[in-house]
Formats: sequence, structure tokens, C-alpha cells
Amino acid sequence: MSVAPPKMLATLRVNGAEIACAFNPNRTLLEVLREDLALTGTKHGCEMGHCGACTVLVDGETVLSCLTLAVECVDREIVTVEGMAGAGELHPLQRAFVECGAAQCGYCTPGMLLSAAALLESNGAPRKSEIEAALAGNLCRCTGYVKIVEAVALAAERMREAAHA
Amino acid sequence: MTLLGKRLARPDALDKVTGAARYPADIVRDDMLRLKVVFAQRAHARILSIDTAEALAVPGVVAVLTARDVPYNRYGLVEEDQPVLCDGVVRYWGDKVALVVAENVRAAELGAQCVRVAYEDLPAVTDARAGMARDAQRVHAGRADNVLKHVRIRKGDVERAFASAHVVLEGEFETSWQEHAYLQPDAGVAYYEDGTLVVETAGQWLHEDRKQLAKMLGLAPEEVAVRYAKIGGAFGGREDLSVQTLLALATWKLQRPTAIVWSREESIVGHHKRHPFWIRAKWGAARDGRIVAAQTELIADGGAYASTSAEVLKGATLFATSTYEIENVASDGYAVYTNNVPSGAFRGFGAPQAHFAAECMVTRLAHALDLDPVEIRRRNVYREGSIEPTQHPLPAGVSAAAVLERCVEEARARMHYGMPDLRPRTHLRRGVGIASGIKNVGYSFGFPEQATATVELFGEREIERAIVRVGAADVGQGAHAALRQIAAETLGLPPHAVRMITDDSARAPDAGSASASRLTLMGGRAVKDAADAAKAKFPGPDAKATVQFRPPATTALDPQTTAGRPNYSYGYVSQAVEVEVDTRTGQIRILKIVSAHDVGRAIDEQLVEGQIEGCLAQAVGYVLTEHLQLRDGKILTPHFSTYLLPTTLDMPTEVYPVLLELADPNGPFGARGVAEMPLVPFAGAVANAIYAATGAWVTQLPMTPERVLAALSASAQLVPHERPRDPVMPLDQHR
Repeated sequence: MSVAPPKMLATLRVNGAEIACAFNPNRTLLEVLREDLALTGTKHGCEMGHCGACTVLVDGETVLSCLTLAVECVDREIVTVEGMAGAGELHPLQRAFVECGAAQCGYCTPGMLLSAAALLESNGAPRKSEIEAALAGNLCRCTGYVKIVEAVALAAERMREAAHA
Repeated sequence: MTLLGKRLARPDALDKVTGAARYPADIVRDDMLRLKVVFAQRAHARILSIDTAEALAVPGVVAVLTARDVPYNRYGLVEEDQPVLCDGVVRYWGDKVALVVAENVRAAELGAQCVRVAYEDLPAVTDARAGMARDAQRVHAGRADNVLKHVRIRKGDVERAFASAHVVLEGEFETSWQEHAYLQPDAGVAYYEDGTLVVETAGQWLHEDRKQLAKMLGLAPEEVAVRYAKIGGAFGGREDLSVQTLLALATWKLQRPTAIVWSREESIVGHHKRHPFWIRAKWGAARDGRIVAAQTELIADGGAYASTSAEVLKGATLFATSTYEIENVASDGYAVYTNNVPSGAFRGFGAPQAHFAAECMVTRLAHALDLDPVEIRRRNVYREGSIEPTQHPLPAGVSAAAVLERCVEEARARMHYGMPDLRPRTHLRRGVGIASGIKNVGYSFGFPEQATATVELFGEREIERAIVRVGAADVGQGAHAALRQIAAETLGLPPHAVRMITDDSARAPDAGSASASRLTLMGGRAVKDAADAAKAKFPGPDAKATVQFRPPATTALDPQTTAGRPNYSYGYVSQAVEVEVDTRTGQIRILKIVSAHDVGRAIDEQLVEGQIEGCLAQAVGYVLTEHLQLRDGKILTPHFSTYLLPTTLDMPTEVYPVLLELADPNGPFGARGVAEMPLVPFAGAVANAIYAATGAWVTQLPMTPERVLAALSASAQLVPHERPRDPVMPLDQHR
């Protein structure tokens, strides 16, 4: 029978907070987020990197947290869906998802939001085809993607307007 | 009327975009025992022995449960033929043989690997048609044969009609399994609360789950409470119990809280699928385009257990003639036990398979008669008062013709449908296909149908707020939003002043399942009628009412005459689909979809559109990419790397949901169901479009490139009248 490796002590920067954790080095970021840090907004859908439900941002880049070891993320900036909203205010993407009806069952929504956030970070005025390409790694079984793509376009427009204001 | 049709934010939207929404896997606590299933991993075998000693020796393993631990070891939605844990024999790969209960996930997994089961393999039935043979190996010992259900429908005299028909065509069609692939894999927890066994999962019908779980444990239904956490999609896939039995059993047995979270592979292996069908159709028409006879044989692979096969088969057999009034009909449906994964409910419930064959046959008849495919539909489509194959008039509110006309109008505007194609011919061919469909809203064939809701009003002189209790599952479709909107509209309240209590079998009355596109109509009527009744008592000390809504009764078919009234309400749909066929690779691209629906009354337009767009994505997957493959009973595609769901890049860039609002006489504000309708005619529309583009008939689902290429090379051998004209056909044209 295998013996669990010793836990390592590390500090993870999650949603702007420094959190001291102890986890086994073989544990994925998804497991540590959900089980140790109680950040259950990040979803498991396949544990094999196929579905995108576990997408989070690490240093601004989308990462499949089911395929990433937590230990790889030490000293890096991790953002989960719980960290998207500002103080008392939704992220424009979150607001647009609510208004457009882009979340049905909602299980793909956290991953979708973070993939979209990464896109808008690098491209403030994406074409429809660019939005579709950016979300191609996130499966949704409910919406047919139409309202998700609409929501991302709407959020992008609002963010541009806010930047110019 | 102020709120009807309005695009309101869903009550659950905020939680879903902030990560606060709690799905079953999110409510697992550290103090809960963890469960791991030992799956059979063979198609058909006798269990000689189960040795649990080694598993029990694994540190952390608390118990290994087997059939002998289950008080009543048979369950099922329609027929109780499925064991919770196998007793003596396994009948499919995903049959559950033992359940390991441990202090943590790791111990449960190790324990499951250490359960030693000795099997004696039996011959496996893996083909439904072969399984029908009298001398075939029995899947369930003691049955006369493997036919689990035969549905027979007769109207008029098909033989005589064929003899005098101007044209008679025959065709064979084959469809495959479809996996629900709800994004949230099966999971849940169970615990005791004040002496009540609570099972908290995701499902589609609180009170039915409770009934089955209570029966398994020999408890009264009131001793069990079923609660739903947020449900991450369902689509029919959560109608059958999957992990609920295991949670209830382990917590009841060990008197400790338990939890289970299935992997994607466990979910795909462990729950039922859409039925594969083999369909043979023979259709005849008169010279004027009247369809005079349709004879259809439908054989469905029911898999190892009954699930809802009998009901799915009834629907498929009824819809073998799609949405056309035909004087002479003979349809025979068979659902067959095999040692494959069980088949059961999936959005459309038998209608998509039947329509695939019917809608191809209608277009083929059109070409054989030199009619355009819309015109033949126009001449035969159901009208008010049309007689169903079951010899009675359709329920009032028949809108099939209006839906067809509206669809064609939109197709002309959006796809230049009917215009000649002047582009040079290359290996990329484009075509537009049309198909129509019909699907029941609500339960059929005499299955008891009701929905109950309680509405309680509060306020001094005016109604200030309301509590609505209705046990209806929001599987993601927005049922709670729609029901709240109906209550608010009826009471003249803003939606936020209506509190919904919906997810606990102990606190909300039974509104029936989230299935058969029924909750808006059935749950909605119960809520509306209860709101009206409560309003009549207001102001007063007891402004509260519980109403059970029952729609007009349906009936089983008469075994001799096959006459009956199968349904009380229908949804009607017509679609136009434009495809591009790469004649070199066989690759199909769907470019545009017009999906026209009579929704009776859109309670919330955004929710309705969402249902149509989402269902179309499942339809695209069903027809093109989702290929669940089995060999010797084993699922070869248990991951999303091999079972391919459509992504953003697989969906057409232009999807046009078109809503007609022609009231259903029973629906709240006239609303009828829509959730399943887009899947119903879609495969036929795509096949017709491919034919329009290339002259080839693709008769197998999914339409993989290999199959398309095979059809393209076979089309050269078609009889002349079945080939598209050159230049193009006036309507179903290639471009």
C-alpha cells in the first residue's frame, strides 16, 4: 500500500489574499481550492482537461486546475470565480451573464467567466469569432453558447465605455 | 398583464455567476463517509462469489455492502427490474456489484480495488435485433423472450392503400446511443436530520425519488426526504436513480452521513442513455401528394434494464408518422433487452429517432412526386381536428401548419431558401433541408398526470408578498424563474416579492418531474390556479390555497383496436437547416438554423430562446459528433476526448429561434412546453439538407464523415427519380 507523501507548507495567493496552506505535492490545484480552501466555485467536470469547468486564472492566464499541481502555483496570482467581483460590485462579465441569461444550469459558468476574463484582458474589442475561439475549451451542455457569446460581447462593450468615460 | 414574456434575471443567476451556487459535490463535508462503487465491468455473468475480506482490511474502510444488505433490491421508474447491487448475476458493464464505504476517498478507492468477485461469464446479447430471436440468450432469466415491450398502432388498412398508391418508397434508418453529458457528474450526500433520512442530490422528480428510496429501505415515504442542491443539467439523464440508492443505503445501514462524487467516466458508464433505434419505413402517396399509408417497424435497444423504455417506445411508435395526418397507419415498436447500457429518458423521449425516419421519407416522397418538400408537408400536415394514428382527434390547439409556414417564411429571409444558386460548383456543396415535428407535453398513454402547488399570501390591505411551494426541479432550464414569473403575474407582485420553496420533498408538494417539457404547463397551471384561489381568500386570516391541477385524461391504447387518446397537449416545430458538405472529406458543417416553435405563450422570452438554442446544440451533437460506441457491452468512449460534445466552434454562427404564440387551452396564459422540441425534427432536417446539397441520403446517426462519404458514393446508384434535378430543385435546392 502506498504511503501518502508528506505535506508541504506553502503560501498561495488566491483572489488577492495570501493563504498559508499545507498540502501534499501530488494534489491538484482544483483539489486544494475546493477541499482545503473551500472555494467550491471552481467545478470538476471530467478531471482530465476535456471540459474546462475547472478553469482558473494563474498570473492572468487560463489554467485547467484539474491538470495543474497546486505546488506549481506557489508565488503566483490565482484568481477563481469567487475573486471576480469587486467590493459590492459584479465584474462586468458577471453582470452581462446575468442579464443575457448566459447561465442555465450554471456548472460551466465559472470556467466560462474566467476564460472570457482572460480574453478581455488581452483583447478589449474581440470579434465574435475571437470570443468563440477563446471559449472553445469550455464545454456547455445547456445554452448552445449563443447567450454566452452575446454576454461576453456586451461586457467587452461596457468595459470599453467605462475605460473611455 | 405586465410580466409575461419579459426577460427577467433568473433568481439563481447571481449565485451562479459568483460561484456561490452549491451543487451536490459542493456540499460534501469532511465528516462524511465516502462511497465507491465496484462496477461489474463485464456484459453478462453469473456472480460465483464476492470476497470482501481484503477490502475490509484496508485501513479506513468501514463496510463493503452487497446485495444481501439491500432490504428491497429492485427499483425502476416504470418496472422494478434493476437491482441496487447485483444479486447473483450482472447484466451490463456498469452494473453495481458492491459498495465500499470508507473514511476517505483514498481508502474507498483502495477498498474497491480489493473486492474480489469471481464470475462465470454468460453469452451476452449486444444486438437488439439478434436479441429478439426466440433462441437468443435471455437477459432476464424466466422471461419468454427479450422483448421488453411491443407497441402496436393500427389505423385503416395499409396494404390496400399501398396497392393503390401512386408511389411507394421504403427506407431503413439507424440511430445511436446519446449520452446526456450533463456537465455536473452525479454526486450527492445523505444524512439523518431529526430522525429523517435526507438524501441531497440532483434529480428530476423529488417525490418519485423519495418513493423509490423509501421502498428500497422498507420505510414510509415520510421517513425519507429528498432535497435537490443546484442541479448541473439533467436532460432526462437524472430521471432514473443513480447514486441516490447508494447514499440512502449506506447512511441507513451505518447511521452515518455519506457522500459520493462520480468521475466523468463513472457517470458515463453508470447511467442510462438515449435509445439506439433501427427503423424500417414504407410510405405511399397519391399522385396529388396526399400521403396515404405509412408502415413502420421500430426496434429499440433497451439495454439491460427496463428504465423508461416502454414509455419511450410508445412515443416513438406514435410519432412514426411525424406531424402528418395519414389515413392508413401500421406501426410496430419493439424495445429489446440487451446486455448493453440501459436506455431511457433523454430530451425528446423517442420522438427524435422516429422523426428522423419519417421526415426523410416525406422529403423522398416529395421528390418522387416532383413536389417541393414544403408543399407535400403543407398538404398533409396536422390541422385542427386531424385524426391521430390512434384514431381520435388531436387535442385542440393544433398549430403545425402555422409553424411550418412561419418557418418557411424565415428560411426564405435568412437562407435565400427557394432562390437558385449561382455560385460555381466546387467540392463544397450547400443545401437547405426542411423538417417538421410534434412532441407531447406532459405524460402520455394514461400515465397519472398531476401537479400540485401551494400559494400563501401576506399583506395588510394589499398583497405584499407570497410564498409559493411547488416541488419542481430546476435542472438549469429556469423552471423556478418561469414559475415565479407566473405567480407574480397572477398576483400582481414584483417577482422578488414571491418566495419559491421548491427543492425539498418535505416542504413542497409534488409537481411531478422536470421532463416531457411539462413544468411550464403543468407546474405553471398548478401555481397559477393556487395563486388565483389564494387571491380569492385575500384579505383574510388564511389567504392560502393548495391546488392540484389535472389536465384532460389520456388513455392507454385499446389492445385490440389500438385506439386511444395518448396525449393532452403537443408542441409543434418546423426547422430549416442549411449545411455545407465537403464532398472530399465527408465533413458536414451546419451553417444556419431556423427553429420555429409554437410555445403557446412565452412566459420569459429569454428562457424560451435559451431552451431552443441549448437544445439545438444537443441536436447538432446528436446528429454530427456524439458517437457513443460499445463493443461487447463495454463503452469505448467514456470521456469527452472520445465522446465529442459540440464546442463554440462546432455551432453554426446563425441560429434563429422563432416563437409563435398560439395558446394551448390548458396552459397557464396559454403556455405550452418547448424544451424538447428542437431535437425532434433536427436529424431529418440535416439529412434533407445533405440530400439537397449532394443527392445523397445519409440514414445513420451520427452522420460521421465515413458515413457521409459512403452515402455520397452510394448516391450514384440511386434510381433516377430520386436524384436531385440539375439545375436545382426549386425549393430544397443545392447552392
